[in-house]
Amino acid sequence: MVDNKQQWKAWLYLSPAIVLLLVFTLWPIINTVRMAFLENYKSLEAAGGATFEFGIGNFLKVIQYKRFLTCLKNTVLLCVLTVPLSTILALLIAVALNSIKPLQRFLQTIFFLPYVTNSIAIGMVFAAMFNIVGAFYGTEQEIIVTAGIINNVIQFFGGEPINWINYGSTYAANITVMTIYIVWNALPFKILVLLGGLQSINKQYYDAAKVDGTSRKRIFTRITVPLLSPMIAYVVITGFIGGFKEYTSIVGIFGEKMGPADDAYRLNTMVGFIYDALSQNNQGRASAAALILFGIILVVTMINGWVSKKRVHF
Amino acid sequence: MSNTTTTMSEKNIQQVSAKQKVVKAIVLIGLYAFLGIMALIVLFPFYWMIISSLKTLDEYRMSVPTFWPQKIMFSNYAEAFTAASLGRLFVNTLYVGVVSTLLSLVITVLSAFAFARLEFKGRDTMFGLLLATMMIPGELFTITNYETVTKLGWMNTFTVLIVPFLVSVFYIYLLKQNFMQIPNELYLAAKVDGTSDIKYLWKVMIPLALPTLISITILKMMGAWNSYIWPRLVANDEAHRMITNGLRNAFTATSGDVNYPVQMAAVAIVSAPLFLVFIFLRKYIMAGVSRSGIKG
Amino acid sequence: MKVVLQNLTKVFPSRNKKSNEEVVAVSDFNFEIPDGKLIGLLGPSGCGKSTTLYMISGLQKPTSGKIFFGDDDVTELSTENRGIGLVFQNYALYPHMTVKQNILFPLQNLKGADRPSKEEMLERAYHAAKLVQIDELMDRKPSELSGGQQQRVAIARALVKMPRVLLLDEPLSNLDARLRLQTREEIRRIQKETGITTVFVTHDQEEAMSISDIIVVMKLGVVQQIGAPQEVYDSPQNLFVAKFLGTPPINVFNGSVKGGKVYIGEDAVLEVTNVPDQEVMIGIRPEGFNLDAEGPLKCKLANVEVMGRDVSIVSTHEASANPDIRSIINADNKVDTSSEIVRYSIKPHKLFLFNKETEERIYFEVK
Repeated sequence: MVDNKQQWKAWLYLSPAIVLLLVFTLWPIINTVRMAFLENYKSLEAAGGATFEFGIGNFLKVIQYKRFLTCLKNTVLLCVLTVPLSTILALLIAVALNSIKPLQRFLQTIFFLPYVTNSIAIGMVFAAMFNIVGAFYGTEQEIIVTAGIINNVIQFFGGEPINWINYGSTYAANITVMTIYIVWNALPFKILVLLGGLQSINKQYYDAAKVDGTSRKRIFTRITVPLLSPMIAYVVITGFIGGFKEYTSIVGIFGEKMGPADDAYRLNTMVGFIYDALSQNNQGRASAAALILFGIILVVTMINGWVSKKRVHF
Repeated sequence: MSNTTTTMSEKNIQQVSAKQKVVKAIVLIGLYAFLGIMALIVLFPFYWMIISSLKTLDEYRMSVPTFWPQKIMFSNYAEAFTAASLGRLFVNTLYVGVVSTLLSLVITVLSAFAFARLEFKGRDTMFGLLLATMMIPGELFTITNYETVTKLGWMNTFTVLIVPFLVSVFYIYLLKQNFMQIPNELYLAAKVDGTSDIKYLWKVMIPLALPTLISITILKMMGAWNSYIWPRLVANDEAHRMITNGLRNAFTATSGDVNYPVQMAAVAIVSAPLFLVFIFLRKYIMAGVSRSGIKG
Repeated sequence: MKVVLQNLTKVFPSRNKKSNEEVVAVSDFNFEIPDGKLIGLLGPSGCGKSTTLYMISGLQKPTSGKIFFGDDDVTELSTENRGIGLVFQNYALYPHMTVKQNILFPLQNLKGADRPSKEEMLERAYHAAKLVQIDELMDRKPSELSGGQQQRVAIARALVKMPRVLLLDEPLSNLDARLRLQTREEIRRIQKETGITTVFVTHDQEEAMSISDIIVVMKLGVVQQIGAPQEVYDSPQNLFVAKFLGTPPINVFNGSVKGGKVYIGEDAVLEVTNVPDQEVMIGIRPEGFNLDAEGPLKCKLANVEVMGRDVSIVSTHEASANPDIRSIINADNKVDTSSEIVRYSIKPHKLFLFNKETEERIYFEVK
């Protein structure tokens, strides 16, 4: 039996959360769907009394928009590059950490450090490291006034300096820098989760494998990875969700113009697209793009869940 | 089944165990080498930020880089502080962080308590609905919230930076799980003794759930410190600007001929509080993060 | 394959960094396990029995002492080269592999000339599965099996590589009472059929007594007694062993020997020779009592429990070291439950004397 006094007490305690959730979570969900399905919806015009027809024009416009396709391509490319790379690297580091004793905690702390950073601030450090200013404007008189440490190292080993992020840099170079930065940023969380998973694997499985003379490689592929598979799945799915929302790390390195000086918005992402539409007061288009992003995340999550069911044990 | 294993001679056994020791040592050296190199790569940006922030511009521009500043320039920090008016930004961010953390804790504790301990109609349905909203990317809310706060006349206020994010379903979930681990008998015993809910919360549940509350506090503060997108949209004026936006605005150029030492000094100043918190409260951060998967 | 333990000692460094106290888990263990026997290592938790097992397996290295398999010194040899099979307390079956994959796993680890062909592997896996009667369950996952079935899979996995020595760590502790009886017979049968020297660890004396050829009773890292189960039961070397074996447990009294008579309180229960006068501890097995109206031991009757074939009489005596005395007598004897007093005479071979300080057995001859 449900106690009446408990009833109203519960609602009282929940009331602040409920009010805020209604205004800032539930209403936005409804309203965003509404705006997405009203042709060319703009709040300013709506406030002025304009009415909008129902339709899927916003979606059609968004997916036909060339800049949106650039954003989608950048987002997917960064996801596909960074998620597997950071997961594998994190797995190797976690397994290595798990098999040492002295310095384990110390190293674990170091590997967690990138987590407690501000993506914009450290993005600026990466930008400085990959910077080059030299004779690439074409004139002989220009001297190298500032060179990033990465190019210094490349030159030290006799290589040609690469224009990573400056005026005239290539798309491939930009993506490389972004991949390195995002992987660097994604490692701590993945290492933390995977190491936690490794440490919770019953040690007896390893004893049993040892008794049976299992080689290191076989222990890794046949025991560690399968037993860790729920954690690996978790890390991959959160990695993809985070990857599809990539935005601030690019602002950190390239600034708000989302690209090198000569090709602004070259590296814009889905989230960037939504905010651009929003700052142009085009709520209908922003909503449609947000719903597309949600749909993609949903599909990726479902694919992951489906693969997990087949591949993840227990 | 019979014993098929051949008996090994004394010599053989010694050879086998000696070989194993060598292999073990090589593997161990390999592990440490790998971890050491990776650790250096992870640390390098921090090292580069700090030494660059202490160099003179001339030294920074040398074509052969120095790995330790020839002349230590603390003045870069003073310059950065004024150039980006970091003082003002610090105060703004701290204010938003503290107020939103406190309010958020109160709301989270009350909600988690209701979900964990009280029985009411539709409890499980409602909790399920809340959890479902965690799937939805925040950008989807932002569009309407931008409109809402404009209508409410909250543009360029601190309110707009605090109120929309007070409720975090994830924190409620985290704390509810924690509260559920506290045996219900304790609550019933308190009821028998005539203890009020609030007193019970304050005296029993909060102390027992303290580690989770500390984790939430730190993550919330870090969230304020690192927030960038929402403040840029709704409160990008001088009086309310948050630290990350201020940093980005003050140093728009990231590449090219930039005064990097001053820029790096600013970055170091902005990063310092995060590192201090991390050094002292590492345990709580790592505990909170491993269950969340969300950044700050 | 006989297994020889020579001065085997294991010292663990203290867990608490500040104190330097070391924990001696096993101290100077000497024993030659004969080929093809089933050995039970028995003792309360913390007695070092599991540590001994793990040292034989090679998962733990002894601090000092040597281990021989046959004539080979394997002390320095790592686990995988010892050719042992080990069944873990909670089985350690790989949860993501089927029963078949679990059993095949050790074989697939073999390299070079030792590696059997695929057909041979399967044949051996099925042979091992048949031996433990799980050949019907080969395609199931461990989570789909009962505790007893998991246990059998673990044994099959240990047997499939034809180990020189089979080691079982608390093999029955995770099973319910009925399965435990059944499985211990099973272990006995499998051991007999394979003839593999088998060592198992248990804290349950009944379990050890019922299936072992030889039991080793340990306490705090020190071996107390080694022998055939009945032999140890009939002739415990000290009070600990006497108390540890037998259900219901032995009755212990504070007593003394004076002028060739054994006294419990005021009651002279037995006349013995060649024992000097002293305070002693006296142990009497529950089955060592005879109902005897003229008997020397006078106890207060507390309760009588009829258990079909036997009657268990609970009584008290001021010299008893335990709260009550439990005796078991044939149900043919009628007990006068209205009386407040019950009198016993004692079967001499069921009574043991122990030194009061050292608790070592004092041997005597009945006059």
